[in-house]
Amino acid sequence: MKYRKILLSLFLLAAGSIIFGATSSLADDIKIIANSTVNVDTISLAELKAVFLEERSSIGSTHVEPVLQKDGPAHEAFLQEYLGMSDDNLQAYYRALVFTGRGSMPKVLGSDAEVVAYVARTRGAIGIVSSATRAEGVKTLALELPNSGAARKLITRVEPDYPETLKRLNIGGTVRLRVSISPKGTVEQVELLGGNPILGESAALAVKKWVYAAAKSQTVTEVTLWFDGR
Amino acid sequence: MHRRILGLTLACFSLGQLTLRAQDFKVFDREVQIHGFASQSFVYTNTNNWLTMDSNQGSAAFTDFGLNVSSGITGKLRVGAQVYDYNLGQLGAYHPSLDWAFADYRFKSWLGFRGGKVKTTLGLYNDTQDLDFLYTFALLPQSVYPTDIRDATLAHTGGDVYGSISPMRRLGDFSYTAFVGHRSDGIYGGFAYLASSYGVHFSSYGGLQYGADLRWNTPLKGLLVGISRINEDITAKGTSPNPNPGGAPLPYSSVSKADWINQFYGEYIVGKLRIDSEYRRVLHDESTEGGLLLSTSDTRGCYVSGTYQVMKRLAVGSYYSRYTIHVVSGGPLAPLVPDQTDTSLPGNHVYDKVVTVRVDLNRFWDVKLEGHFMNGYGFGPYPDGFYSQDNPQGFAPNTNALVVKTGFNF
Repeated sequence: MKYRKILLSLFLLAAGSIIFGATSSLADDIKIIANSTVNVDTISLAELKAVFLEERSSIGSTHVEPVLQKDGPAHEAFLQEYLGMSDDNLQAYYRALVFTGRGSMPKVLGSDAEVVAYVARTRGAIGIVSSATRAEGVKTLALELPNSGAARKLITRVEPDYPETLKRLNIGGTVRLRVSISPKGTVEQVELLGGNPILGESAALAVKKWVYAAAKSQTVTEVTLWFDGR
Repeated sequence: MHRRILGLTLACFSLGQLTLRAQDFKVFDREVQIHGFASQSFVYTNTNNWLTMDSNQGSAAFTDFGLNVSSGITGKLRVGAQVYDYNLGQLGAYHPSLDWAFADYRFKSWLGFRGGKVKTTLGLYNDTQDLDFLYTFALLPQSVYPTDIRDATLAHTGGDVYGSISPMRRLGDFSYTAFVGHRSDGIYGGFAYLASSYGVHFSSYGGLQYGADLRWNTPLKGLLVGISRINEDITAKGTSPNPNPGGAPLPYSSVSKADWINQFYGEYIVGKLRIDSEYRRVLHDESTEGGLLLSTSDTRGCYVSGTYQVMKRLAVGSYYSRYTIHVVSGGPLAPLVPDQTDTSLPGNHVYDKVVTVRVDLNRFWDVKLEGHFMNGYGFGPYPDGFYSQDNPQGFAPNTNALVVKTGFNF
């Protein structure tokens, strides 16, 4: 019976490492860079994946073109954590596209510096480099995650002040904010998306003091706050 | 013949080397890409001749190559074409064909159109079955992807509507393709070769084909499942032997009354391990010579395969593939096509156990060594590699095969 339990534990351990091993972090931070003609500042995970799998060729109104690195930590991290496939599988995927006429081989370059240089001079180019790379002549796109709560843990939360006048007049409601969070977890930028502007200003002041868990790259999320006017 | 094969192979490899540096160039400020591939196999079987080759003596009559050119005209519009040529024993005969040639306009990720000659999306690998370099195996499971009758499902001249949707993130992604077009088999394919054993020579074989494919990238990372369906309306025309000695050949025609394919499939990739499984059922209900011969063939194929990337340049794989055929005939000429109803008989099935090793010499060149251990020879109106005219001495119930294949792509 004891042996059976040990065997069962080993089996569960092995199965667990197979199932969850792929989600563990293996590489350094990355930065998503784009040519200045790409007229967005953020890109969602689904959009990023679709661009690199050649399922879509435009973001907003801009035609985009993926640029890959031959290898390196940024490339490996991107494949494993964002595309969820190995380099061999990705190459096979592109070849299947090419030889059935459904896509083309993306540009593959040898280093972060080459990717930055190519993206800087090529209309619509989007590339991945390590976060330490100096991205001169290109814009850095923030990764927009669909669900901030699940994606980045909020560590420090500061509640907004309820402006006295509005509270007295029972004026409340929902405020929606777009929040850019740095890789370190500090809030870099807050933009009011909807709601009372005075409440929004108060909410933005508070949210700027929030601290999230560190992540591999800058992210953007949407925060909704409720001011109870009753 | 061997010199011709060797010459063609060397020429293709040389072309590949030359064009490696020149596969991307610009025309009118549009990037144009040229890509190509070639493969050469050697097959030896211990008993029956297989895939129309003299494989019992050892045969290298298994060569193919393709070359394509494509360009993105705009961000949403792509055009391209590929020429494909092959020789497989008595099939193909180095008659080049237009493999695909189409314009593809993708409005959104969820909606695109293709028009022209388009590879048919059916199961996991139908549209890429010729692209040997994508697979660990030298031969895909023949029960589902029969190399000798590849024309049957490979492409259609018509149009596709396709796209990908993610209705809710937690549900994963769905990809769909719906198509309608005309199927046109080469007269150098397996069906024509099979008919020639009865003295029937096709001048054309094909017809309307329409269907759809839906695949689901499930929320479980690496797991994909899907379903495909094709409906067809096939007409064969040609000549048949005149029963009067010395008489001119008579016109021949057959039409399908019901003709469809269902395919169900799944793929699971975890780390370096890949597991695939597919099931295909082909029902072909045919009326020949205005009802003189009525035959219904029900062919079922399935396989389970596993491959493992041992190291960057070395992969191993194995699969078990099952093919069965069930045939019922009617009409005045029914005695010419005997019923095949007992799928346990070796003439009505092929059960194939396969082991493979693949070595990638570099990114462009691979070598594969594969062993097949087959029970049965599944000879019938929907062939699976074994033909009576290649085995005049009769069939042995078991066949072991060794396949050595090398492929190149750029």
